[in-house]
Amino acid sequence: MPSPQAPPLGNRAVDPTAVRPPLDDATIERIEPAQLHARLAALRADGFTVLLDLGAVDYLDRRPRFDVIYHLLKLPLDATTPQKAGRPPRMRLLCGVDEGVKLQTATDLWPSADWAEREVFDLFGIIFEGHPDLRRIQMPNDWEGYPLRKDYPLRGPALEKTPRPEFALKSNLVAGTPASGKTAAALAKQIAKARGQSGA
Amino acid sequence: MALNVEQSGNSMILSLGPQHPSTHGVLQVLTQIEGETIVRADPEIGYLHTGIEKSAENLFWTQASTVIERMDYLSPLTNALCYILAVEKLLGVTDRIPERAQQLRVMLSELSRIASHCVWLGTGGIDLGAISPFFYAFDLRENILDLFEVSGGARMHPNYLRIGGLREDIPQGFLDRLDELIAKFPGRMRDLRKLLQNNPILQDRMVDVAILEPADALAWNITGPSLRASGIAYDVRKAYPYSGYEQYDFDVPTRTEGDAYARFLVRLDEMEQAMRIVEQARRKLVGGSVMIDDTKIAPPPKETIALSMEALIHHFKLVSESFRVPPGDVYQAVEGPRGELGYYLVSNGDNRPWRVRTRPPSMYNLQVLKKLAIGELIADMVVCIGSLDPVFGEVDR
Repeated sequence: MPSPQAPPLGNRAVDPTAVRPPLDDATIERIEPAQLHARLAALRADGFTVLLDLGAVDYLDRRPRFDVIYHLLKLPLDATTPQKAGRPPRMRLLCGVDEGVKLQTATDLWPSADWAEREVFDLFGIIFEGHPDLRRIQMPNDWEGYPLRKDYPLRGPALEKTPRPEFALKSNLVAGTPASGKTAAALAKQIAKARGQSGA
Repeated sequence: MALNVEQSGNSMILSLGPQHPSTHGVLQVLTQIEGETIVRADPEIGYLHTGIEKSAENLFWTQASTVIERMDYLSPLTNALCYILAVEKLLGVTDRIPERAQQLRVMLSELSRIASHCVWLGTGGIDLGAISPFFYAFDLRENILDLFEVSGGARMHPNYLRIGGLREDIPQGFLDRLDELIAKFPGRMRDLRKLLQNNPILQDRMVDVAILEPADALAWNITGPSLRASGIAYDVRKAYPYSGYEQYDFDVPTRTEGDAYARFLVRLDEMEQAMRIVEQARRKLVGGSVMIDDTKIAPPPKETIALSMEALIHHFKLVSESFRVPPGDVYQAVEGPRGELGYYLVSNGDNRPWRVRTRPPSMYNLQVLKKLAIGELIADMVVCIGSLDPVFGEVDR
């Protein structure tokens, strides 16, 4: 269920590559998942030494649903002064990925892709084949769902999954304000409820 | 947890953090040590994940900068500036931002660079047992935060920058206090350098520790002072100038050693260069408006709201449904205190961003710890972390 605060869905999720105004310094290229790794390797060999960023966008109703975006920077090793560095060329690769399609990892080309790919996996559920250690990075390991997908609600699951330890519940009971019956009753009720959940 | 290793005879697994005074936030590093030497380090992040990108997607374009300021909480203005520049690029109004607003933006973002480096310097000193520099650095930072308070109303998250300019002009007395700070700064930097730079204990701890080779720095996507300490002079302010940075005269400090001490010196030099820019911005400061002359973006002046119905309606429309941004995607980068801070924004033509992707410099800088810490002593782990200067609000977002 999309959250009520989410932007309107449906056909409004446009593909920006179709309408993009000429805004950027970067060279922009769209690429198919099958050719992605070969193209990245070619660019790496061509002197794109830095994989500046790797992110994803969920277009929800579009096919393919996701875009994975690679920002590359051609920064030579001998750029020892700002003059020598100049304006290093930027490159942006957009790769459309549908649900269930796996991408090949870029960690063999740039080690920095490691955490970036883990984050895309964690928050969008896109799988990178050949990644040495593809597991959640921001969310807890037992989290369900992919929070940055557009159909994931803003507030997340209604119940907190992490059970509170027993002593924390007990200390609440003692440290609360039991004298006025109302608060104590409410507190006891809350604790009983929490216990019921944590015991389940 | 994540470190699945076969226990060999002498190795031992030590978990540093997540609650440890010298991890500069909530960072856990699972280290495998043999004797005192680190043979493997695996940083675990995500303890501070608050879903800021998701929140920003559900706010108006104007509101999103409020949560975005919370990412890098040591230099919130830089985050806001980068996001706002990206939105202005999408709106196509980059050339129409008033000169005064641009100069003040530059001035404030350089001040926040100094304030951020002050925290790094103070806490970095504490990591190594040097307590007194902390007070000198934080006193300087306090003066800068006071300036943020008079201009924006808050010390940590002033939320002073707006799409199209600034919220309001700087108040009377701001420039006098700035002049006091400019006069005080060189002396304070001398003190800090005296306390730390030639301190033999500090040098013992930092020289030749955690060396980052230039080729590795590029492959691991290091930017900012940490990259420049490895000899590569990449600075977004020089390479892709924004907000009129090309008009200011400043150097890009670099070192070639690539060790923790080089990163320390580069940051110290950077503070002085930042103050140079502040002085120039102060000298050049022109008069005029600080908000774009475009009623689609700029709210009407406060004093007109009580007098004119049109202004009231205009204000109400902007507050209740904001403005729409033409569809498209854009990447905008600025030079934050930790390196290239970038925003990749996607608009679908609505009044909320479709996607706000941050390029967090801290996260990429921290990632190299996996390589940097290998072969160092366990005691040098705090030097490794401190010299990379991560901010966990930004690493985890």
